[in-house]
Amino acid sequence: MKKSLNVLLILSLILSACENANKKQKATNPDQKLKVFTVNYPLYYFAERIGDEFIDLIYPIPNDVDPAYWVPTQSLEDIQSCDIILANGADYAKWMGKVSLPSAKVVNTSEAFTESFIKIEEGSTHSHGASGEHVHYGYAFTTWLDFKIALGQAEAIKDAFIEKLPKHKAAISENFDELKSELTELDKSMVSIGNELQGQTLFASHPVYQYLAQAYGLDIISEHWEPGEMPDDKQWDDFKHNLDHNVSNFMLWEGEPGQDIKNSLKSLDITTIVFVPCSNKPKASNFMEIMRENVKNMMAVISADMK
Amino acid sequence: MKQSLYLAYCYLVYHRFRSLVLVTAIGLIIFLPIGLEKLISDSEKEMMARAEAFPLIIGAKGSSTDLVINAIYFQQQEMEQLNMEVGKQLDKTNLGHSIPLLTIFKSRNFPIIGTSIDYFEFRKLEIAEGKNLQLVGECIIGSSVSEQLNLSPGDSLVSSPENYFDMAGVYPLKMKIVGVLKASGSADDKAVFTDLKTNWIIMGLGHGHQDVVDLKDPTLVMQSDSSNVRTTAKLFMYNEIDGENMDSFHFHGDTDSYPVSAFIFVSNNEKSSTILRGRFVSGELPDQVVVPVKVVEHLLQSIFRIKYIFNTVFVLVGVATLLILVLIVTLSLRLRKDEIHTMFTMGSSRHKTFEILGLELLILVFLSTVVAGILYLITGYFVDDFIRYFIL
Repeated sequence: MKKSLNVLLILSLILSACENANKKQKATNPDQKLKVFTVNYPLYYFAERIGDEFIDLIYPIPNDVDPAYWVPTQSLEDIQSCDIILANGADYAKWMGKVSLPSAKVVNTSEAFTESFIKIEEGSTHSHGASGEHVHYGYAFTTWLDFKIALGQAEAIKDAFIEKLPKHKAAISENFDELKSELTELDKSMVSIGNELQGQTLFASHPVYQYLAQAYGLDIISEHWEPGEMPDDKQWDDFKHNLDHNVSNFMLWEGEPGQDIKNSLKSLDITTIVFVPCSNKPKASNFMEIMRENVKNMMAVISADMK
Repeated sequence: MKQSLYLAYCYLVYHRFRSLVLVTAIGLIIFLPIGLEKLISDSEKEMMARAEAFPLIIGAKGSSTDLVINAIYFQQQEMEQLNMEVGKQLDKTNLGHSIPLLTIFKSRNFPIIGTSIDYFEFRKLEIAEGKNLQLVGECIIGSSVSEQLNLSPGDSLVSSPENYFDMAGVYPLKMKIVGVLKASGSADDKAVFTDLKTNWIIMGLGHGHQDVVDLKDPTLVMQSDSSNVRTTAKLFMYNEIDGENMDSFHFHGDTDSYPVSAFIFVSNNEKSSTILRGRFVSGELPDQVVVPVKVVEHLLQSIFRIKYIFNTVFVLVGVATLLILVLIVTLSLRLRKDEIHTMFTMGSSRHKTFEILGLELLILVFLSTVVAGILYLITGYFVDDFIRYFIL
């Protein structure tokens, strides 16, 4: 009897020791890496730069898909389990409005800039039932092309990380400051480009440069052209019609257009400028390098035009 | 002794109807005060446990009791709604985070609770079968709902229409059951959980329909020009959300203005909780904040005052029953005068005779106690109904 009592006592001691160890492990959570999901590549890049070794980034979006139109299927459970879900805001990634996410963990990185959001019509006016005539509105969403908004988004990420990892505040702030100076530099360059282009109209292959135009005072008319696809006759006619009413020498492209397109544009005295929005992970390089390249491309073309 | 016990048993079996009436009467008298005490104390414990699990509730100004009953016990009350913007304001305080609750609709008499998946983490509710909510149009059911309606993941539930006479009103939504919660012994077992957005779709604030620009059937178009397409009432509105029509679902207007019945506020710490309450008291934040424990304590105090009246009644009834029992025994002895005389004549001693009679009484009391014990055990199953019908 005494022997079995002793065994019971030892067992209970071991169990309580295990329980205490478990509790201690839970209490030391601040040392664990934060599991972070980002809805697009610019946020991924900011998070990677700011969070550095303190975070584990989840990015299940394939390279060949536009993150704005990607829909999670298998990965939703993984996203739900993240400590922080970084949303772009401005209606980016509409799937976020159709899934169940832990709202306490979702950080809308552009929330401070809702006043600057650009409203756009989606679809035609229609009416059904008792709701009367209506048109659905949305927002232009490539917010990071306004580098001041991009900086604000990075700051929101920094704040979210510091809130979860107060112990690493100094390192996170230092990482952010570095990114801040680089984004500020980009912003300054774009401001001077904007000044150079005052009074000029630019064409764009796609309606993705709304925030670039708004932030740097650019007058941009958007087409719906693909870099690897020659526009059809109607598209060319519409473009020429637009050109008759808006004198322009430049056209912004999301990617390098085909040589035939370039030649056709050249014949109309239009120079192509590649300005990659970089919404998804590039095969090589990174967000900052691509944005610097974008700015350099614009600078080069403008300087050549001046001469 | 054994023989006396046998004779007492035979007597009670012979007069089985009288014995049964006596056992039932005495059993009930023993049970009533202890049973009521159990109902009251268990209800109190259950209600307080639920209230203690909810730190702060924020709702529209009005009855704090209605707010708490609605938000934590899911007993749907007619009350003013807040909007989603309030939740954003609460989150901006950085004192904690809010969890929305929309508790307007029902499905087969079980409340549909629109919330975010934070609720399950906050309540530490685990999925027994299936998976967590992922897409709008899905629902998770409590264990009692699953048991009573015999439903499991893969089945579906339809929301009840708000008004059966409103034929042109909001279409009921067929929700796909994706999970069943583990039993928690609380109101969560008897609820259907959906994402808040699903509830807004049930409300008609969001909907999905055929693409009005790409309609093939001319009978669907009432009028069409370059700027507008007007459709007929024949336009198909989806009443179920699936992978194919998911994209067509959309909300009209700003979702921040959409209704929410209440917010659970999970504060960072006690200090944050006090600061937030202070902001409501000072009027910096509109609406009202309540501490569920205090509201429930107040509610129970008012209701359980009646317990003392019941206790007094039971003591008086008990004394009366005891007196009746004494009377029954006395009258019974008088009626059994000849029988007792026969026992004496047969050689039974006075002691033996009273032993038999005493054992008869003892068996009756014992059986009554057993009856009271069984009733006491059964009482535990009626705590929820007692709370629902007599307290909430």
